[in-house]
Amino acid sequence: MVDIAERQPNAVTMAKRRGLSEAWFAWLLILPALAFIGVIVAWPLLETIRLSFTNADLGGESWVGLANYQKLLSTPKFYEIVGRTFFWMVLSVSFKMIMGLIGATLLNAAVPGRALFRMLIMPPWIIPIAIGCIGWLWLYNGQFGFLAGMSQRIGILNGPFEFLAYRNSAFYSAIVTDVWVGTPMVSLFFLAAMQGVSRDLYEAAWVDGASRWYRFRRITIPQIMPVIVSMALLSAIWTFNSFEIIWILTQGGPRGGTTTMIIDTYKTAIGNFKFGDGAARAVAIVVILGLFSLLYMGLLNRVNKHYGVK
Amino acid sequence: MATLNLQNITKSFGSAAVLHGIDLAIKDKEFVVFVGPSGCGKSTLLRIVAGLELATSGQIIIDGSDVSALAPVHRGISMVFQSYALYPHLTVFENIAFPLRVQKMADTELNSRVGKAAEILKLTDKMDLKPGQLSGGQRQRVAIGRSIVRNPKVFLFDEPLSNLDAALRGDMRVELSQLHRNLDATMVYVTHDQIEAMTMAHRIVVLSAGRVEQFGTPMELYHHPATRFVATFIGQPNMNLVPGTVQGSDANGLTVALEGGGQMTLPVDAGTARKGDRVEVGMRPENIALGTGLSMKVRVLERLGGVSITYGELPSGQRFCAALPGDAAVTESGTIGLTINAADCHVFDAKGNVMRRRMAPALAA
Repeated sequence: MVDIAERQPNAVTMAKRRGLSEAWFAWLLILPALAFIGVIVAWPLLETIRLSFTNADLGGESWVGLANYQKLLSTPKFYEIVGRTFFWMVLSVSFKMIMGLIGATLLNAAVPGRALFRMLIMPPWIIPIAIGCIGWLWLYNGQFGFLAGMSQRIGILNGPFEFLAYRNSAFYSAIVTDVWVGTPMVSLFFLAAMQGVSRDLYEAAWVDGASRWYRFRRITIPQIMPVIVSMALLSAIWTFNSFEIIWILTQGGPRGGTTTMIIDTYKTAIGNFKFGDGAARAVAIVVILGLFSLLYMGLLNRVNKHYGVK
Repeated sequence: MATLNLQNITKSFGSAAVLHGIDLAIKDKEFVVFVGPSGCGKSTLLRIVAGLELATSGQIIIDGSDVSALAPVHRGISMVFQSYALYPHLTVFENIAFPLRVQKMADTELNSRVGKAAEILKLTDKMDLKPGQLSGGQRQRVAIGRSIVRNPKVFLFDEPLSNLDAALRGDMRVELSQLHRNLDATMVYVTHDQIEAMTMAHRIVVLSAGRVEQFGTPMELYHHPATRFVATFIGQPNMNLVPGTVQGSDANGLTVALEGGGQMTLPVDAGTARKGDRVEVGMRPENIALGTGLSMKVRVLERLGGVSITYGELPSGQRFCAALPGDAAVTESGTIGLTINAADCHVFDAKGNVMRRRMAPALAA
C-alpha cells in the first residue's frame, strides 16, 4: 500500500527539492524565535555580564576584571541588603500563600453571591500597580491617611504617624501592599486547583466521619500541594524581583530600610550611573534566581511524584 | 448486620420531583440491587440512604432505628463510589485505613483490621503502592477495603463496576458475590446494567421515573414482570411487544387478535379486559422458535455461535427479534416463519400493567 503522505508534497519534501536538508529547514523555522530571544534576553544578559567586568559610567569604561565583584562581596552593606531581600521575600510569600489559601477556601465555599466575591477579589491584581500604590501612599499618609486617622480614633496612636517615614514601619507597610497586590492571583490559582479536586473524595471522607477541618487537612491540602509549591516558588521569584511597589512607596528608603537587591541595583546603575557596579549586582541576582529555579524544578518533580500527579 | 427500611421517601430538587414515595423493606443479609435507566432516581435514592442527600420527606430505618436525620458516619453504612474516590496521595494501606484514622483508632487494632481486609481482597502485596500504580480492578478492591474496615451494618455500592472493561466486570461480579457470602452483610447496589442486577441480586428493585416499578427476585422479574417497563428492561435481547385487540376471554384465557394478522389464546388472568380493548402481547426473543404462525422478514442476523439473534419486521411493519439456535437455517433478507408457545407470552393492558400469567416456571415462585 502506498502511504498517501509520501505522495503529497509537504513542506519538508518541498524544502528537500530546493536543496535544503531537514535539519536546516528546522533551523530556518526556529530562527525568528531565536533572533527574538537573542535580542530581548540573551544580548542584554551577555552585555550585563560584560559590563560587570568594567568600571563603566557616564565617562566611559575600561576592563577591571573581578574588581566589581570583589568590592561588592567585601561590602557589609551588600550582605545586609541580601538578608533584607530574603526576609522581604519569605515574609511576603508566606502571607500571600496563607491569605491566598484562606481566600480560595472562602471563594470555593458554597455561599450565595460567590460569583460576586470572585469578582471583588480581582481589583488589586487588575488595576495598574502604580495606581494601587498611589492609593496606598494616601492610606499610609500620617496627616491625612485613613490608617493613621483610624488608629488615632480607636486609640492605637496618640498623634499623626507617617508609616513610610521609619525603617521598620516602612518595610512592613511595603510588605502589606505587596501582599495586597499578590494575593488575588494566588487565590485564583488555589481556587482553580480546589475546584479540580473530585467531589467524591470529600463525600467518601464525609461518609467515613471526617470533619471539615480533617477533610481540608487530609484531602484539600495534599490534593492542591503541587499548585501550592508551584505558586510559592514562582511567587518567591516575583517577590524577590518586585520593584515598582517599593520604588513608588519609599524608593528604598528611609535610610535604606526598604532597599532590596533589585532596588539597590537600580540605584547603583541608574541612580548613580555606576553601570559596572550595577551590572555586578544584577548578575548576583541572576545567580540567586537561577539557583532558585533549579530548586523549583527539583522540588516540583518530587512533590508531583509524592502526591500522585502524573 | 441489619435490616433497611425505606418509608415513603420523596425527593425534590427545587420544583423537580425525582423520587415519589419509595417504600422498601430490605431484609438482613440481603443483596438488593437498584436498577433502572439513567435519571430514574436510583443513585439519588442510594445517596439518601447514605446521608449524602437529605430526603424531602420519609424515613430511613436501619436495624429498627430512624437514621433519617443522622450524619452519614452515624448511620452505620459505608459506601463504594463509582469513581472509587481513592486518595491519590495515600498508599493502599492508608486509603483502607482512612476511616479508622478518622476515628483515631489505636495502631494495633487498625493494623489488624486493615490487614484482614487486605487479605479478603487479595491486596496484601500492594499495601505500599499508590492508587495510580494499580489496575482498575485493584483500585475497586481498595475502595471496597475501605468500606469493609468500618464493619458497617449496610454496604452501599454506587455503580462500582461501570469504569471497568467488560471482562474485568465479569470477574468483579463473581468477586462481589463471594464477598457478600463471606461478609454475610446487607448490601445495596446501584447499577444500570441488568446483567449485574440479575447475576448478583437476591432481590431487584426496578425504578422508573422515581417510582418502584417492581421489587422481587431476578426470576420473578423475568417471568412475572409487573409492568411493561419491567418486562422490556429485564431480559436480553429486549422483549417484543406486539399490539393486539381483545376478542374475548374464557376459562382458557384471553383471546387476542394480533395486529398484522393471527390470533392467540393466552393463558392469563384477564381481569376486567373486555372485547375491543387494546393490549400488547409480550414475547421474549428466547421463547421464539422457527415454525409457522408469525412470518418475519429478516433484516439483520447476528450469529453469536450458540445463538443467532435475528432482527426483522413482521408483515405489519412491527420490528421483531428472535433468538434462534446458533445454526438455524436463516439468511439475511430472507423471510422465515416463527412460532411461540402461548404460555410463554405476557399480556399488558393499555396502561402497561401485566395480566398475570397462569403458568409460572418453578423458579419464579
